This record gives sequence, C-alpha cells and structure tokens, in this order.
Amino acid sequence: MAIEIIIGAWVATGLTLFIFTFLYKDNPLFKLAENLYVGVSVGYTIIKTYDTVVVQLIWRPIVENGEWALLVPVAIGMLMLTRYVPKAAWISRYAFAFIVGVGSGLAIPRTISSFILKQIEDTVRPLLTLVPGEGVTFTWSLLNPSSSLNTIIILIGVSSVLFYFFFSVEHTGPGKVVARTGIIFLMIAFGAAFGYTVMARMSLLIGRLTDLIEFTDPSYGRPSFWLAGLTILMLVVMARRSSSKQSKEEEK
Amino acid sequence: MTFAERMLRIDRRIIFLVIGLCTLIPLLYPVGLPIKISQEVRGVYDHIESLPEGSVFLLSLDFDPASKPELHPQSISLLRHAFKKNLRVIAMTLWVSGTGMADQVVTQVAREMGKESGKDYVFLGWSPGGTAVIINMGQDLYGAFPADYSGKPTKGLPVLQGVANLRDVNYAVSLGAGNPGVEAWYVFGKDKYKFELGGGCTGVMAPGLYPLLRSGQINGLIGGLRGAAEYEILIDQKGKAIAGMDAQSATHLAIIVLVIMCNLFYFSSRNRARQQGGEVA
Repeated sequence: MAIEIIIGAWVATGLTLFIFTFLYKDNPLFKLAENLYVGVSVGYTIIKTYDTVVVQLIWRPIVENGEWALLVPVAIGMLMLTRYVPKAAWISRYAFAFIVGVGSGLAIPRTISSFILKQIEDTVRPLLTLVPGEGVTFTWSLLNPSSSLNTIIILIGVSSVLFYFFFSVEHTGPGKVVARTGIIFLMIAFGAAFGYTVMARMSLLIGRLTDLIEFTDPSYGRPSFWLAGLTILMLVVMARRSSSKQSKEEEK
Repeated sequence: MTFAERMLRIDRRIIFLVIGLCTLIPLLYPVGLPIKISQEVRGVYDHIESLPEGSVFLLSLDFDPASKPELHPQSISLLRHAFKKNLRVIAMTLWVSGTGMADQVVTQVAREMGKESGKDYVFLGWSPGGTAVIINMGQDLYGAFPADYSGKPTKGLPVLQGVANLRDVNYAVSLGAGNPGVEAWYVFGKDKYKFELGGGCTGVMAPGLYPLLRSGQINGLIGGLRGAAEYEILIDQKGKAIAGMDAQSATHLAIIVLVIMCNLFYFSSRNRARQQGGEVA
C-alpha cells in the first residue's frame, strides 16, 4: 500500500478519535482537531480559489490569450478591497451595487417561477379525476402522492397552515379549529424533518465508524487500535492532572 | 429520589455509549435486514436506465467532505451505473471545498470501470460563482469551464462532442449538501434550459426537496445513506451504504426506545410530584 494512503489513514483515525473525545468532555485533543479542521478547510479553499480564479481564469487568459476584456470584472472586484481603506470605502458600494443588482435580477424571477408559481400549480389539483370510460373517480391510496385523498390532505394542510400564520384575525371559534389543524400539520412536518436529521447524523457516525473499522486492518498498521489506546491514555493523564490541580487549589 | 427521577438525570455519556454500541455492533456483525426500494430512488435509476448509449449525463457533486458518508456512496453508485450504460459523463462541483474529493471519486470509479478521461468522461472541477456557473453553462459550457480539472482545454474533447451548453445534456443529477445544490440546479438550470433533472441529498435536506419531487420539478430523489443503499441494490453492487443500513436501523430503534422511556419517566415523575403536592395541600 502507498505510504501516503497509510499516513492518510493514521491522520484520519487520529483526528476522528480526537473529535469523539468531546463526547466525554471538552479537552485539548478536541480543540486541536477542531482548529486543524478549520485551518485546513480555509487553507484549502484559499489555495483552490487562488489557483482557479486568479491563475486559470484571469492571469492565463489575459497573458496567454490577450483577453483584455477580463480586466473589467477584475476592476469591479478590486473595488471591493477598498473596504479596508476607510477614506475610500465608499467606492466599494459600486461593486456591491453591481453584484446585488445582477444577483437580484437573476434570482428573483427564477425563484418566483420555481418555488411559488410551480408549487401553487402543484397544490391546486383537481380533487376528482375524470377517467375515460370510468367517469369521475376518487382514489383513496395514501401511498400514491397524486391520489385524490392526498390532494385533499394537502389542500387542508396548506390552507390551515396559511391561516395559522394569518395574524390579522383572532384565532377564536371556527378559526381556532383551523389554526389548531395548522399546528398539527406543522408538528408532523417538524417531526419528519427531525427524523431525517437524526438519520443524517447517524449516517455521519456510521461513516466514521466504518472508516475506523477499516483502519484496524494490518495493511494500514492498525491505526485505530494504537491511536484509540493513545487517546484514552492521554484523556486519563489529563483527567488526573486536572484533579490533582483542583485538590492543590482546595488545599490552598 | 425515585427510579424515574434517577433515569431522567442519567449521565448523557451513557446515552452516547448506547448509541455508539448500537452503531458499532451491527457494523461488525451485520444481519442484512431487507431494504425496500422507494419510488423516488427508482425514478433516478429508471431514467438513467432509459438513456441510450452515448447520452450526455451531467453529475454535479455539490458537497464537501463533511457530507461524505451520505453522498460519497451515492456518487459511486451513480457513476458506476452511468459508466455501465456507456453514457458520456460530465462531472463537476459547485463547492470549492469538495473539488479534490470529487476528482478522487470520479477518477477512482472511472479507473475501476475501465473508462478514459476526455473520451468517456471529463471532470470539469470547480468554477467560481455558485449559481452563476449554472447560468453560464446554460449559455456556453466552454465559457464556464475553458479547461478541465487537469488543465486540458475542454474544446475538442471527444466526450463533449456535440455539447455546447446545458440544453445538450440528456440528464443531470446534483448531489447536494446545501446551497448551491439541487434547488439551484432546478431554479437556474432545468427551469431555464429544459433538461431532465434528478437529485441526491443529505438526509437533513430531503424533506425540503420532496415538494420539488411531487410537483415533477425533479424526477427522482436519493435521500441520505438510505437512498444510497437503495441505489446500490438497484445496480446490484453492494457498497458502504448497504453495510451501514443495519447500524442505521439499530440506532433508530435505540432512539425510539429512549424517546418512549424518557416520556414514561417524565410523566411518571410529574404525576408523583402532583400527588405529593396534593397531599401537602
């Protein structure tokens, strides 16, 4: 096995175990892994951005292909750096205005079309279906998303939740019933979202444990065993040190 | 202090240990619980299956290493399926922090399936701009990515023959862990340039994407590790996702039991407190 893969396995195992130590309590090993994660992520992003943007998309096209028009977006981008010079900071507003203007112009119509109009279109569905030869039919299947029963449930859900967020009318009498129905739909939605979140978090744990099991293989040098032992030893030493320090302080 | 009160004050590290063991034991000794294929995952599979050989398949790996356990198995399965069907694969990412990992997975699966870079597939890498990159690709793919990840000019690559922009893509799948991801590909890509779109996402994001699925804005959705396991079954290649499903079921069961127990203990201690309050009064 290539040496870089073995080193990678040892580093990954060590950092995973260091992060897991937080489950016991906050400690310097966790802090080391956490800071390394942040540092490496930021460093990687800076290097990739510099290489892709500055070198490949700006420097090379200008120097090698003579695409001088690229200097215009470069100049607009450079205006943003004036934020660091208080007297010239106002110039950066032109760059921000350009970005906000273009961004809004691109995003607003597309977002309205995709998330509002299309979703309204999908919500307003016929409750009954006209099937040639069979006449008007009503489908009861809960498992079929486009069944008539599900269409009614969606209609009730959307209407009641919208009413719950309608604060101009006091929620009393029949309004209270509708608002309460809206709360039930909201709770079901939150429950589903939370269930998926639990599933996702467990998947992350499964991913790390799968790697730790894989790294118990002798071809990697069994980093999971060695580093788990080392981590536990370090936690014990740190716990003893802090307890002896505490008892000394109490004696004083 | 009653048993219920003692249990409600239990050290949280014991719960961590229980969850850890429920995850670890099934990983070491898998049972092989059955996995049912959902319609949303089948939607993506069926569409790729229906594509003729040589069709253009775009896979956008919009995630970083933090979402690797869920989305890495999905990307491996999708790439294996696309290569098996001899589709022309265009891979890319909208997440700068995921560039290296995306390159690694594409290269690894391509090598495993005997595919050649530039001829059978291309990894375009990352380009700045997020959603603007999608719009740029919709107008001119070569403008958005003048060179691929290895620095080769994209113009003239055999894999991109006849592909000028996103309108020439037969099927696109975004594996997203956030923004930009599946939603961005729909809003700025499919809605404007009219290509078929499927999605893959982390479990956290899945409930938010179901409205897009129901309305037909995306034709399939692979949600989390569970979705990846279903896809592995569909392509008949067992991987890390299937291996993790027993552990997933065991932890879910443990969490359900813990929630029920906590509620029982809570109501029991509340009733006791009320009774004691009544007696005092």
